[in-house]
Amino acid sequence: MRGPARAPAGWVSAAFLTSTALTAGFVAAYITTDSPQLEGLLLGLALAALAAGLVLWAMHLLPSGTYVEERPPMAPPEEDDDAFQDDLHRGGQETPGILRRTLGLAVLGLGAAAVVPLRGLLPGSLGPSTALRRTAWGRGVRMMTSEGKPVRADDLEPGTALTVFPQAPEPADDATAVLIRLRPADLEAASSGAAGSAGLVAYSKLCTHAGCPVGLYEQTTRQLFCPCHQSVFDVLDRARPIAGPAARRLPQLPVSVDAEGYVQADGGFDGQVGPTYWRRG
Amino acid sequence: MITRRVVRWADRRLGFASLARSGLNKVFPDHWSFMMGEIALYSFVYLVLSGTFLAFFFDASEAKTVYRGSYAPLNGSEVSAAYSSAVHLSYDVRLGLLMRQSHHWAALLFTGAIVVHLARIFFTGAFRRPREVNWIVGVTLLLLAFVNGFAGYSLPDDLLSGTGLRVANGIMLSIPVVGQWVALLIFGGEFPGQHILPRLFIAHVLLVPGLIAALIAVHMAILVRQKHSQFPGPGRTETTVVGSRMWPGYAVKSIGLMAAVFSLCLLLGGLVQINPVWLWGPFEPGSATGPAQPDWYVGWVDGALRLYPPWEPHLFGWRLPNLFLPAVVLPGLTFVAMYLYPFVEPLFTRDREEHQLLERPRDRPVRMGLGVMAFTFYGLLLLSFSLDVVTRYTGWPVTVLVLVFRVVVLVVPLLTGLAAYVLAKALRDSDAARFTELPWSAVRGTVRRRSRSPKEPPTTASPVAGVAAEHLPVESGPVP
Amino acid sequence: MTARTRRRLTPAAMLLTVIGGGVVLGQVALAETPAPSPTPAPTATPSLSADALRGKQLYGSSCASCHGQQGGGTQRGPTLVGVGRASTDFYLSTGRMPLKQEEGQAERGKPAFSRPDIDALVAYVDTFGGGGPGIPSVSGGDLAQGRSLYLQNCAGCHSSGGVGYAQVGGRTAPSILSSTPEQVAEAVRVGPGLMPQFSDRALDQGELDAVTTYVEQLQRPIDRGGWRLGRLGPVAETAVGFVGVALMLLVIRRLGTRAP
Repeated sequence: MRGPARAPAGWVSAAFLTSTALTAGFVAAYITTDSPQLEGLLLGLALAALAAGLVLWAMHLLPSGTYVEERPPMAPPEEDDDAFQDDLHRGGQETPGILRRTLGLAVLGLGAAAVVPLRGLLPGSLGPSTALRRTAWGRGVRMMTSEGKPVRADDLEPGTALTVFPQAPEPADDATAVLIRLRPADLEAASSGAAGSAGLVAYSKLCTHAGCPVGLYEQTTRQLFCPCHQSVFDVLDRARPIAGPAARRLPQLPVSVDAEGYVQADGGFDGQVGPTYWRRG
Repeated sequence: MITRRVVRWADRRLGFASLARSGLNKVFPDHWSFMMGEIALYSFVYLVLSGTFLAFFFDASEAKTVYRGSYAPLNGSEVSAAYSSAVHLSYDVRLGLLMRQSHHWAALLFTGAIVVHLARIFFTGAFRRPREVNWIVGVTLLLLAFVNGFAGYSLPDDLLSGTGLRVANGIMLSIPVVGQWVALLIFGGEFPGQHILPRLFIAHVLLVPGLIAALIAVHMAILVRQKHSQFPGPGRTETTVVGSRMWPGYAVKSIGLMAAVFSLCLLLGGLVQINPVWLWGPFEPGSATGPAQPDWYVGWVDGALRLYPPWEPHLFGWRLPNLFLPAVVLPGLTFVAMYLYPFVEPLFTRDREEHQLLERPRDRPVRMGLGVMAFTFYGLLLLSFSLDVVTRYTGWPVTVLVLVFRVVVLVVPLLTGLAAYVLAKALRDSDAARFTELPWSAVRGTVRRRSRSPKEPPTTASPVAGVAAEHLPVESGPVP
Repeated sequence: MTARTRRRLTPAAMLLTVIGGGVVLGQVALAETPAPSPTPAPTATPSLSADALRGKQLYGSSCASCHGQQGGGTQRGPTLVGVGRASTDFYLSTGRMPLKQEEGQAERGKPAFSRPDIDALVAYVDTFGGGGPGIPSVSGGDLAQGRSLYLQNCAGCHSSGGVGYAQVGGRTAPSILSSTPEQVAEAVRVGPGLMPQFSDRALDQGELDAVTTYVEQLQRPIDRGGWRLGRLGPVAETAVGFVGVALMLLVIRRLGTRAP
């Protein structure tokens, strides 16, 4: 509450004048430039000068001192409390219990009327368990890139990966898959079931931990790495998680190359896609 | 002259003179730590003001549109209206980026100030009777601030926050029995759907801020009714409040503080980049970016997700999802513990008296130990959200860091809690005025002494300064 | 052989046969590994250009110990046969080769050779044969398309801001903010180290130009929002936010009183 010496009113006025000048500068900057840095600096400093002026004023010029105020206890005296309780329960004696109970029932009914329509937040008749189990993949569905271009088997060099979607007008989130072309050397190391034709293997791109796209493919270690919480999946061992918090392997999508050289799915994913939800098994 | 006439004119019609007088004359304790809540309050005011500006330009819709503006790498690209309007705000609207960035910095200040304020309340025992209700209001405000921050940074529909929404969806899915319904009802379908952004928008600009504003009003009303608590000292008893008058001194100082908070928001908003959504890119299913983290107030949950082992046990044939314990149970228990604390502590201290005088943290070594343990635990969880960035710059493998932090997060809080307990006890039982003056002998003595009856915190006028209540200037005025 | 000849295979003859056989075998063996001296054997190799000759000199002193005399590879370094000009140029111009330390990932650094010397080495290594990706051409491309392609294909590893990101096992996908457009294009076509390779079927020339153009855009020194905090996102923003809270605490410390 005190500075080393009493600051004269001059300092306070100077602070307010500085603030005014800076605000004028801000307005000029707003009109003439488009620099967020200038705008923020000038307006920020204008407010800082205002703050300084106000604080100096309060601390050095305004009446201060130690004042004492009485503080009565929170709880009122017994008589007041009793009188309040009596007022509150006025008319209670004359009210039969059945009135209270049926009113309670009516209120419960209104509550249900408010809660049940929340079902409408989910449009459509498809329940969650069906929606979550299905993706757009199926036998013969062709793969496309996010730009809508169909994928040919020889678009992929050995050792590279590509994000693919089922051929549809819009890329669908739960169907996102990563298509990998394994090098010939890796095909021997891969466990059975991996690598359909032409060394191609496809897994769901949604991490089984929290659903982030497992976007990082490391070609030398043949691992898929998730940027969110650092789960690592072994591409050569059916995308089994080998590090990080993911507990399930990435579901695999069986793939083949059709007669014209385009890559297509041979069925749906062989496991639950995305973060685990409460279910049997 | 003019002010007098205006006030008189209004008073003659509304009759507020006596009410206003008691307000103007209100005595407010001066301790600096009592202004922490005001930092949060003024950050909230700034959020509302800057948010109003943003709401005039932001379009919370997932409908596709073509961005045409001065950010060349996006020009002509088809993106959601939300993302397009966010980039438009950043590049094509004067003051737009300043408002966006200062709004986001203000949110970090808001949540940070609430936590600091909560710590002060906790360590000084201000939550004890009669202030348990206000503690509950305050913890609710903390929860709402966290929720609104998450909703806010998810609105621009960029790749980073979209990834966060994905994780939130996964967390909802992980709730046993009802998880699938919760996730699909809130999102209006499978992720991402078309509905989540407009819903988040209404929550972020109307529902949650409305609730926050109402609860702040309740918080302040209770404070005015009960009067502010204060530290023991000359003239300070359980039945007095000692400090400055609200008007003009305290009010002008407080307005100055508001100007300082606004100043910081604007300086940060103009000079330090935050959430550059044009760099992250629009959210697209199947795209990823690293590093990927939420804001800090959700970051401790993210840290828990990274450290939690890959366990998915089976319960009676049902699979318990991995995310449930770290992302639902842990935060749930955290808030339940916070809500219940003022009712649990008296069971052990057997102190159910009304308290207007605060305790110094050292007066309650157990509470000190528990509090430091809790803050260390959540602080370490928060730190864990940055492990992939730590890896990037140190070269230590992230799997090793995760293993180390799993141990650290469980062991270090116990150590810091114990240390805090011992030091507080030593400080309390010694004559040292401050922590820096505490000699090692006192600490050794405390450790050796097995049990000792707890000293009562001072409740009457302290003999230290020797000034009795009667010798302080007393203004006779209406006592509300 | 007649009975008479067989009787004449004396120990001396045996010895002569053995020595003679050894000499012949030795000549064959020596002819496989070319002489370490810079002067080419007159009959064994085809004629090299001046560039490649200079490259051979440099190669012998700086590269052969790990990559073998004809790029065949050794225990310490992989084979260079068929890596392609793009790969050689990339590794040399980014200073990743010669390796400064044996362990760990090759780090970007100051190139050990001048541009003419790099060209020489590229020409020489190319003579090992094999036909890997040639040096890609680079020109301006569609910025918006480049942004989209970068975010889909590159941001996951190199981060949206181009500052790089961690990979498994302590390795990193490095920052691309110091790379020239040529180096970016080479890396895309080669797929060095952990990085997957993108052939022109995956990214055609126009798309590659778009990506390099966008990377150049990312390399502009000023970010519109101010101090970019390393483009690290919420981790750095949290730190600054906490500093802001601390600043406000200092302010109220000055405004209020200390304990009585």
